[in-house]
Amino acid sequence: MSSFIRISSRKSKVDAQSTRILHLFSSGLSSFLYKFVGSPSHSHHIVSPSSLFWVGSRCRHFSHHVPQDNILISRSSFIENIIPLCGSNSFGNTNFSHRSRRGLVFASQIRFWGSQAASEQSTSDGLTVDGILANNWTILDENEGDWKSHATAVAQSINLIKRRLQWRKLMVRLDFLSAQLDKQDLWDDPVHASKVSREHGSLAGKMKEVIALEQELLENIDMIKLAREENDEDLESESMKALLNMRRNSREKELKALLAGEQDLCSCFIEVQSGAGGTESMDWAAMVMQMYKSWAQGRGYKVTVVEEMPGEIAGIKRATIKVDGEYAFGYAKAEVGVHRLVRISPFDSNKRRHTSFAAVAVTPILGDASAHVQINESDLRIERFRSGGPGGQHANTTESAVRIVHIPTGITAVCQNERSQHQNKASAMAVLQSRLDQLEMARQAQLNAQHTQSLTDITWGSQIRSYVLHPYRMVKDVRTNYEVSDPDSVLEGDLDGFILSYLSACLDKDEDGA
Amino acid sequence: MKLSLSSVYRSSNFPAILKSSAFSIPCRSFCFSSLSSSQTSVKAQIPLFLRPARCSATLHDLKKWHDWAKNLASSIGLTFEQSDNGPDSSLLCRELKWLLEDAVEDHTLLPLMGVQNDDKRVTMRAEVDELYNLWNQRIHERRPFQYIVGCEHWRDLVLSVQEGILIPRPETGHIVDLVSDVVSKDDELKVGVWADLGTGSGALAIGISRILGTEGRVIATDLNPVAVAVAAYNVKRYGLKEIIEIREGSWFEPAKDVEGKLSGLVSNPPYIPSKDISGLQAEVGRHEPRVALDGGVNGMDALLHLCDGAALFLKPGGFFAFETNGEQQCRALVDYLENYKSTRLCNFEIVPDFAGIQRFVTGFRRQAI
Ligand SMILES: C[S@@+](CC[C@H](N)C(=O)[O-])C[C@H]1O[C@@H](n2cnc3c(N)ncnc32)[C@H](O)[C@@H]1O
Repeated sequence: MSSFIRISSRKSKVDAQSTRILHLFSSGLSSFLYKFVGSPSHSHHIVSPSSLFWVGSRCRHFSHHVPQDNILISRSSFIENIIPLCGSNSFGNTNFSHRSRRGLVFASQIRFWGSQAASEQSTSDGLTVDGILANNWTILDENEGDWKSHATAVAQSINLIKRRLQWRKLMVRLDFLSAQLDKQDLWDDPVHASKVSREHGSLAGKMKEVIALEQELLENIDMIKLAREENDEDLESESMKALLNMRRNSREKELKALLAGEQDLCSCFIEVQSGAGGTESMDWAAMVMQMYKSWAQGRGYKVTVVEEMPGEIAGIKRATIKVDGEYAFGYAKAEVGVHRLVRISPFDSNKRRHTSFAAVAVTPILGDASAHVQINESDLRIERFRSGGPGGQHANTTESAVRIVHIPTGITAVCQNERSQHQNKASAMAVLQSRLDQLEMARQAQLNAQHTQSLTDITWGSQIRSYVLHPYRMVKDVRTNYEVSDPDSVLEGDLDGFILSYLSACLDKDEDGA
Repeated sequence: MKLSLSSVYRSSNFPAILKSSAFSIPCRSFCFSSLSSSQTSVKAQIPLFLRPARCSATLHDLKKWHDWAKNLASSIGLTFEQSDNGPDSSLLCRELKWLLEDAVEDHTLLPLMGVQNDDKRVTMRAEVDELYNLWNQRIHERRPFQYIVGCEHWRDLVLSVQEGILIPRPETGHIVDLVSDVVSKDDELKVGVWADLGTGSGALAIGISRILGTEGRVIATDLNPVAVAVAAYNVKRYGLKEIIEIREGSWFEPAKDVEGKLSGLVSNPPYIPSKDISGLQAEVGRHEPRVALDGGVNGMDALLHLCDGAALFLKPGGFFAFETNGEQQCRALVDYLENYKSTRLCNFEIVPDFAGIQRFVTGFRRQAI
């Protein structure tokens, strides 16, 4: 218990960010430990030692014998390690010596933690990530073995990643969630509690990754300097290699940071609806749908048509596809909005120029069933398309379309692609579920005041892109001004440029530095 | 077969049945027993999607066929729909897509059709020539799509079907839901013996056996040897041989051993009045077996017979559900049950199908006092 007290007294020095880090690692555990210790006044104490795991990772590069698995220590070993510290009477346990040794390792790191957290992370000679950037070192080619170039490139990446993760908002949100997690009555509502702890866990994970990145950068710099002082060429080249590797991997990390939204990893539905303007705009809607099919297939996603309502002469009035695969929603969400086409219509015998519109909606398919909105059977009206007449043995039809109306919200979902009504009903339910989930998320987001978009904006959005085939040829995104002069390639699914430029524009403009 | 059947049906008319107190099982099934004894060995056909992929075609040829077939489908417009409520061209186009999916082994190649690699060969379960044939039959002869591909996607099952048996209807699936409701309220029914009379493809028997789980048993009867062969095939495919026993014969006749012992009884018997057969949608009237459709003058021959049998074959507390032609038959059946069977059967209910048409009659065998 005595070592434990020391920890909490140090905690008073710790600044806001480190408090946050303290909470970071407590997700879901506090309630469990709370039971263990049995006194509410202790609950915040319990949180603190968990931060040691993080400190442990900082420590590892300096004292190479500390095992790396300290970073991601599991819940059970966490508890095992903490209990002795908390002074519970498990001393009779045969594992005692082992545990207490571990406990000591942590305790010895505590001091380190205090000074570390109070200031920004830095190398042994005081260089910080911001400091690296402020130096404005020129970035030379990767192949030049120049640590300053590597370090600057990595630091810039870290900066960009922080911006993309909306670092400040992330902190605020984490604070908020940590406060919730500390509430004693949190687990009275287990659904809410697990939501909070899940989100906390995921945000904490992101934060931890960035901090680990910063540490790794600074430690490598430390190592290079140390190696030079001690003329240890092996160590120098090893550390240089490590730095270069960081530089090379940073692109991918930047990209990943673009897709850090809660639902980004999900599969999704893409729905295209033709605007006013008859056959020409239905043809355009079909072209847009084809564009997404090709794009999705090109990315290796599985594409299934859920529903398709063909136009009388050509094209589609509306269609929905399901895009299965990692980050499908993260990318496709950038396509939400109205797409405009200008061309000489092949359906106009007078060869006039036409402008038509197609609207695109994208809905994530939440992987986690417990996150779903509960749907009441009695709120549903299920319509099966069937010809009139007596039905039963009189009729043989393969028409199996099913439409489900959610009466309270008026949201509908149609599925006709499956070969049995039963399966179509299941698919339509999935579409309906994801729409209701999205509605609920939007509602929550508005409650959290994170989004200012209206609900209709979220579903259909406003005009985002123009595709001009005549009198000149160009595709231009009105949100980012990103443009391409070859509409064919875009219509064949080459959309990544548009998507990435939009995603980065969204996130990169949002915060001025992290 | 058709001849002998219609002669049977002509001999009985509805009011006469209601009056007939001597209306009994042996009498009715007697008429059919000669049919069921004609033990020709019928073999179930393998549906297209399960056939070995021994054929092949170039993408070019496949595309050529597809374009031709699509044109043919489009040329139909609303003609069939307007003449007899048949399929319109958009439905035919969807069927075409499914035919292609069943015929081609590797679906991921389909989007390539007409795009590139014209000479690339795809492995198929049927020759392209056969596909021309099949699609001609679909359009020109109105041969049901399900016979073309040899299967019907019914609920969450894919059932093998072929000429000679009825293609199961989506409405009928509701009987499975009704059974599911009843069984969830009464565990005892779950472990007992059930019967599906006139099982056809085996749809109801299979649907129900999956609700009952391993402890239940289902006896499925049909007097049509093709149905017996196909049902056996489907039962085997779903690994339910231990649970479903298929018996050839008329209605209750092959199930005499379980008289008074059944936990439940379901049936979708032929119920279309004889005079309506000629006006049926071409896919039905020209291709599906009359024995599966024609329910006699009022369409109720089999239904009344089943009600009589329910009174004898169900055990106390046992449940029955029958599909009917609609409101009229439902009402007539409930009248009949109330007037003639209420000493043994009770809790009659009329249940609508998803289109809101009163379709099913359900009830229970009275509990012993
Ligand atoms: C309308 S079909 C129903 C088939 C299947 N139960 C379904 O729902 O898809 C009627 C079935 O009853 C069978 N059937 C007709 N007369 C019969 C009889 N006397 N005994 C047994 N089955 C009979 C037919 O062969 C046909 O399979």
